[in-house]
Amino acid sequence: MSAAIELDQVDKRFANGVAAVQALSIAIAAGQFVSLLGPSGCGKSTVLRLVAGLEQPSAGRVRIGGEAAQARSAAMSYVFQEPTLMPWARVLDNVALPMRIQGAARAAAREKAHQALAAVGLADRAGAYPAELSGGMKMRASLARALVTRPAVLLLDEPFAALDEITRHRLNDELLALWGTQVPTAVFVTHSVFEAVYLSQRVLVMGGRPGRLVADLPIALAYPRTPALRLQPQFTQHCRTVIGALQRAEAGAAGPR
Amino acid sequence: MRPVHSLRRAWRRAWILTAACVLPATQSWASPDPVVFATNWKAQAAHGGFYQALVDGTYARYGLAVTIRQGGPQVNNRPLLAAGHIDFLMTGNLLHAFDNLKNGVPTLEVAAIFQKDPQALIAHPGQGYERFDRLKEAPVVLVAKDAQFTWWQWLKAAHGFRDEQLRPYNFNLGPFLANVRALQQGYAMAEPIYVRREGGFEPVVHLLADHGFDTYSTLIETRAATVRDRPDLVQRFVDASILGWYNYLYGDRHAANAAMLRDNPEISEEELEASVALMRSQGIVDSSDALRLGIGAMDLPRIRHFFESMVQAGLYRAGEVDPSQVAALQFVNKGVGLDLKRRLVARP
Amino acid sequence: MSALRRATIWVPAAAALAALMAWEAVVRLRGIPPYILPAPSLVVRTLWSNLDSLLVSWLYTIKITFGALLLALAGGVMLAAVFALSRALELALYPFAIALQVTPIVAIAPLILIYVDSTTASLLICAFIVAFFPILSNTLVGLRSADPNLQDLLTLYGATRWQRLRWLLAPSALPYLIAGLKISGGLALIGAVVAEFAAGAAGRETGLASRILEASFRTEIPKMYAALTLVALTGMAIHLASNALGRLLLGHWHPSERR
Repeated sequence: MSAAIELDQVDKRFANGVAAVQALSIAIAAGQFVSLLGPSGCGKSTVLRLVAGLEQPSAGRVRIGGEAAQARSAAMSYVFQEPTLMPWARVLDNVALPMRIQGAARAAAREKAHQALAAVGLADRAGAYPAELSGGMKMRASLARALVTRPAVLLLDEPFAALDEITRHRLNDELLALWGTQVPTAVFVTHSVFEAVYLSQRVLVMGGRPGRLVADLPIALAYPRTPALRLQPQFTQHCRTVIGALQRAEAGAAGPR
Repeated sequence: MRPVHSLRRAWRRAWILTAACVLPATQSWASPDPVVFATNWKAQAAHGGFYQALVDGTYARYGLAVTIRQGGPQVNNRPLLAAGHIDFLMTGNLLHAFDNLKNGVPTLEVAAIFQKDPQALIAHPGQGYERFDRLKEAPVVLVAKDAQFTWWQWLKAAHGFRDEQLRPYNFNLGPFLANVRALQQGYAMAEPIYVRREGGFEPVVHLLADHGFDTYSTLIETRAATVRDRPDLVQRFVDASILGWYNYLYGDRHAANAAMLRDNPEISEEELEASVALMRSQGIVDSSDALRLGIGAMDLPRIRHFFESMVQAGLYRAGEVDPSQVAALQFVNKGVGLDLKRRLVARP
Repeated sequence: MSALRRATIWVPAAAALAALMAWEAVVRLRGIPPYILPAPSLVVRTLWSNLDSLLVSWLYTIKITFGALLLALAGGVMLAAVFALSRALELALYPFAIALQVTPIVAIAPLILIYVDSTTASLLICAFIVAFFPILSNTLVGLRSADPNLQDLLTLYGATRWQRLRWLLAPSALPYLIAGLKISGGLALIGAVVAEFAAGAAGRETGLASRILEASFRTEIPKMYAALTLVALTGMAIHLASNALGRLLLGHWHPSERR
């Protein structure tokens, strides 16, 4: 089950006077995989937090599935750049946490957590503590936790930025596979053009300070996507388009306020 | 021989002879012996004689440059004597002397300024505490830390007091004033004055000395080595202190009081005078043997007798300590100061 | 046991032994009398011959120390939780906590004894006052040091205040709490001893402080040292126990307990 996301003329000004985004309007259909791309400071993470309901817009509206976005409306998951696991708990209990909070009994929650870990290939590490895992494994556990509640919306804030390239590519494929089983609406913030093109159906390019939508580029590449795709000319073509938009976005940021 | 030469030689001989005669006599004021004397409390009337000898020049005349170091509620000067940091120590009662002997600390008492220990228990009037044997029924008895391990133990053994009554006395009259059924310790010539000032009533006073606690008090204590190696110094200090006490009790004590007020600003001249009056009326200093032998008088039978009563009270085992070893009696009992007293008392 | 673990035992033991032997040598060679500085051998002999009475006092001091520590733990943690959940209460009550911390218990112990008639209760209160602030302060910092991303995650999942406290804040605060406990353990002992110096009464309900005072007033210096030795040993035992507790609770995950 997935939900559509809609931002309608959203402004966000922080208490210190900084305007993060201005007059932002974005519509994402239910079940779509969308990347948010842009230079630093253009407000990508702010958009994600607005969608999650962790921030409230200063103007305009944010709607999830037709209703106003509130943190605490169920069925949203967030994956951070750091794995954000509780170091004092075992991996299994980390993944079970969202269900425990939402009232599930320990045994039932652990059972579901086991399944989620199996889906990311960490079933044999369920009893380990986060400190014993590699960076890639911790991120997979984080993904497992995000998906264990079968969210309608999956928000990811540069989740693979801190990993090496090989692990990154592998996790890209695993993410696509997981997304493919539940198909939540996914918003993926990234710095990497290649990653954005590889993963998503649409790439939204943001730029400027405060951030505005600079380009909305559909990626007409079929799923399932495989690593071989990266070597094909359509892929390179799309990347070039995106890079161009990105350069325009960066120029816009460098220009007069 | 030419007349000038012989005259000069004569003058020179005269100078040398004069110097040889005068110099030893001036030795004392030319370089007086430095002496540190530590008391067991902040300056109060019970220290008056020592301050008197200091300010009226008696110590100086005896070739002593004395510094008086006060004690106080949190100060324990006792270890300083054995450690060599002070020369003479004011000791509250003979129990300290017995303890030193028991623990091999080489000290000796050389004079007993107080013939009676002024340690007392005081009570609120009208509570039935006018009789001493009713005191053991009091629910609360406030006793300071050092006394808890000395005369309190005797009170328990000899007069039936119990540890359940005991509360620590922190030199604050508050708990006593607030509880009419409470007793507290005090010096018979000091605390009643403070109670009158702060509580507005005259407390009932029971002198422990009247009930079997017949130790000497305010003794002058020094190291055995000092007695052995510098007996002249000890004698001078004892004699000068005795004279100081006669002058303080019977003479003009204004300067001594002023010196004590400087050291302890918390008391007043009136309180000092009231204390002196009590000291005289209660016969703390100048009574029994002192009347005959001079202030500071000590004798062995009385020391022995006190030790025996402490053995009976369970503070010591029989034979644990030889009471004849705690005091050196050669410095007192010589009637020093009696003629001074006669002169002072005879004045109109 | 690894060589490193063995070293953590024999190196300090050897150093202590060397110090004791040096002390003994100095006393003997320079003929220092026992009422100035007793030799360790004399202190041990005195400890042995007075063992029954000293042990009774030791048990009392330990009772007060651990009682106060438990109270400090309960009070400090509860107050920290209250402050973490309510900023208003924190602003209102924190000044009192600070005032308690900086007031010397030597000064207020006699006062407390006036208001509370029981010696044991007033000693517990004094030792509690000394011991509770590090626990309060550290636990509060710990409760506030939770990973902000995890905070966001719990907000997203709709966690209530209590759930947040249970799943995130409390475990995040545990390392800080243990650090505070290590400090407070020693302070509770100091508080118990110092409070008894100021407000204890000889005879009944007496701990090591009374033994030390009694020995001091009766010029029994070796006995003073014997009682002080027991205080020192107790302090060391508390330190080792808190370290062990830290390893037990944090060893599997917190960097501070990693070998």
